[in-house]
Amino acid sequence: MTPGMFDLLGFGPQGWGLPLLQAAGITISAALCGFLLGSVFGIGGATLKLARSPVLRLIGQAYTTIFRGVPEILVVYLFYFGGSVVLTTLLNTGGFPGFYSLPSFVMGVFAVGIVSGAYQAEVYRSAYLRLDRGQIEAGASCGMSKFLLLRRIIGPQTLRFALPALGNIWQSALKETSLLSVIGLTELLRQAGTAAGSTRQPLLFYAVAAAMFLVIGRMTGAVLGRMENHLAKPWRR
Amino acid sequence: MASVNRSVVAHNTPAVPAISVNDLHKRYGTVEVLKGIDFRAHDGEVVSILGASGSGKSTFLRCLNLLELPSAGRLQIFGEKVNLRPSGSNLRIGDRNQVDRLRTQVAMVFQNFCLWSHMTVLENLMEAPVHVQRRSRGQVRDEAEAMLKRVGLIDRAKAYPAQLSGGQQQRAAIARALVMKPRVLLFDEPTSALDPELVGEVLKVMRDLAAEGRTMLIVTHEMAFARDVSSRIVFLEQGRINAEGLPQELFRGGVSERFDQFIARFNQG
Amino acid sequence: MDREGPRRTVSRHPLLLQIFLIYYGLGQIAPLRHSALWPFLREPYWCAILALALNTSAYTAEIIRGAVQAVPAHEIEAGRACGMSGFLLRRRIIWPIALRQGLAVYGSEAILMIKATSLASIITLTELTGIAHKLISSTYRVFEIFIVTGAIYLALTFLMSTAFALFERQLHAHHAHRRA
Ligand SMILES: Nc1ncnc2c1ncn2[C@@H]1O[C@H](COP(=O)(O)OP(=O)(O)OP(=O)(O)O)[C@@H](O)[C@H]1O
Ligand SMILES: [Mg+2]
Repeated sequence: MTPGMFDLLGFGPQGWGLPLLQAAGITISAALCGFLLGSVFGIGGATLKLARSPVLRLIGQAYTTIFRGVPEILVVYLFYFGGSVVLTTLLNTGGFPGFYSLPSFVMGVFAVGIVSGAYQAEVYRSAYLRLDRGQIEAGASCGMSKFLLLRRIIGPQTLRFALPALGNIWQSALKETSLLSVIGLTELLRQAGTAAGSTRQPLLFYAVAAAMFLVIGRMTGAVLGRMENHLAKPWRR
Repeated sequence: MASVNRSVVAHNTPAVPAISVNDLHKRYGTVEVLKGIDFRAHDGEVVSILGASGSGKSTFLRCLNLLELPSAGRLQIFGEKVNLRPSGSNLRIGDRNQVDRLRTQVAMVFQNFCLWSHMTVLENLMEAPVHVQRRSRGQVRDEAEAMLKRVGLIDRAKAYPAQLSGGQQQRAAIARALVMKPRVLLFDEPTSALDPELVGEVLKVMRDLAAEGRTMLIVTHEMAFARDVSSRIVFLEQGRINAEGLPQELFRGGVSERFDQFIARFNQG
Repeated sequence: MDREGPRRTVSRHPLLLQIFLIYYGLGQIAPLRHSALWPFLREPYWCAILALALNTSAYTAEIIRGAVQAVPAHEIEAGRACGMSGFLLRRRIIWPIALRQGLAVYGSEAILMIKATSLASIITLTELTGIAHKLISSTYRVFEIFIVTGAIYLALTFLMSTAFALFERQLHAHHAHRRA
């Protein structure tokens, strides 16, 4: 007798419930790490794009243009294969022969992060440009140092202006983690694929994965929406 | 300077002026906006700076808080020489810490209030004393609340700037300047951005401050206020001090032809 | 992000997942497998196209809706005042104005589509990324291959955005004198 749908999705001996949940956890953590790393790249990229020096501006522009213009999957390959090539070359010249590769989670997070950062740079830059110069000046006139200004005035307000667009970028990062299945990371899509292959029920498992992506997206979106709402409070009349 | 029309020649002066400026120049590119200003303000003086639009009033005031760096000249605040180093044809800051410290002593009130929009009124007031001057939070809170009571805003302490009227915002901005316990207050057209019916409440606060004996430098287009409240008027024309003196003497006329024209144009509307 | 279109609410699903659902999932539906469509739906090429089309269509609908809604009411009224209505009003007034409004947003969606085609390589379609992947796994000259492939994609997206810009300029020719 073939197992029914609930057996397949349950937590029993024939159930794929637990592996799918674990995979969802990996999806969420890869997306989160990638997005946070992307914030670092994004702030760096925005700083470059706003720099006075034309060379720095050019570097920032090149970064955002390239990583927004090239397919994400290609970037994933670049990091995964490129990372192991670099590592192998280094270790071989250091006297350790053989072939080495890096964990797909780490490389995948880097790939998601660098792409996400290219989009975030754009968002941070335009949020910064929306700041009221007068308020920054008011800070300076009170004797605030550059760092204090950044921490107390510029940072919080830039974040507030950037948050709505950052929400969209988060959703993209979440979806992009599905590409990490091609470098062997057992995230949601790959786990669903494994289940589909061994049960011959692709329709069921891909639909379940789709539903799980939707739920994760909705829930994190709601959290971000709350944050946005909270940070927008001062601007409401 | 010989060309300045002075109504009062000798000043009965204490030893150290609050602010002392010598031969101050400011250039933007090739345009010289301030062309050699000599100026002194003493403790307890209320100086109104008048002049036509573009005469350099804001630029001058901003130089005193070092929001603009002079291109040449010397600046002393309470006898302390501001460390400015030549760099090409301009000056640049020699000692950041000194500048940040002096800025808390020479507070600025802006035309557009410039309250920090992500903080409540109370947080705006406490920001600089706590984070720049590193005074204790509890004590600063008490002082900030007392200051808000003074300017009549204690019931709006928890409100955000966007929820206040222009007049309330400007009173809050004045209170924000005051809690730093500055020794000089600079005002750059504090009522120009306000609806006419809100000007009075801000001027009243400023009148009270003047009556307290605060040292204030005020750029304004409120002629009646300047005449009644100032202990001295400085009239700027094209980047130079054209006339300077007691308000009643300057407004009586005859000290400076340009000033009389300026007032006449003003009274016409 | 330079030009903000309508908020992208429609597709919360990863495109790759949609591709798998179609490529692996549809075969499970027996009637479909015996239908005349099956020769197409068996092919990675058509599956990829179907997935891309489904993925972009909902968002494109949003773009069109936004653009039509953004047509100023007074211009429509002016059309009505000239006696236009129904199809004539749409064809002569509403659609041309909406096209100008929506074109920029649609341009960035088109660029996203170019990038999205790369995912077809996962279901064995040997397009650009598929070839790059093959070369990378056989030669391990990752960086050279990334640079060349990336440059081709950048060139494609550049061509696409230039084409859209030219089209836009053409449509806005009546504003040309303002720019001078
Ligand atoms: N950042 C700047 N770059 C170039 N020119 C400037 C700059 N700031 C001010 N100026 C010029 O300097 C001159 C003096 O400006 P300032 O703002 O000091 O005038 P003001 O007397 O305050 O005028 P208003 O009454 O209109 O405020 C003006 O001609 C102005 O155009
Ligand atoms: Mg001014």
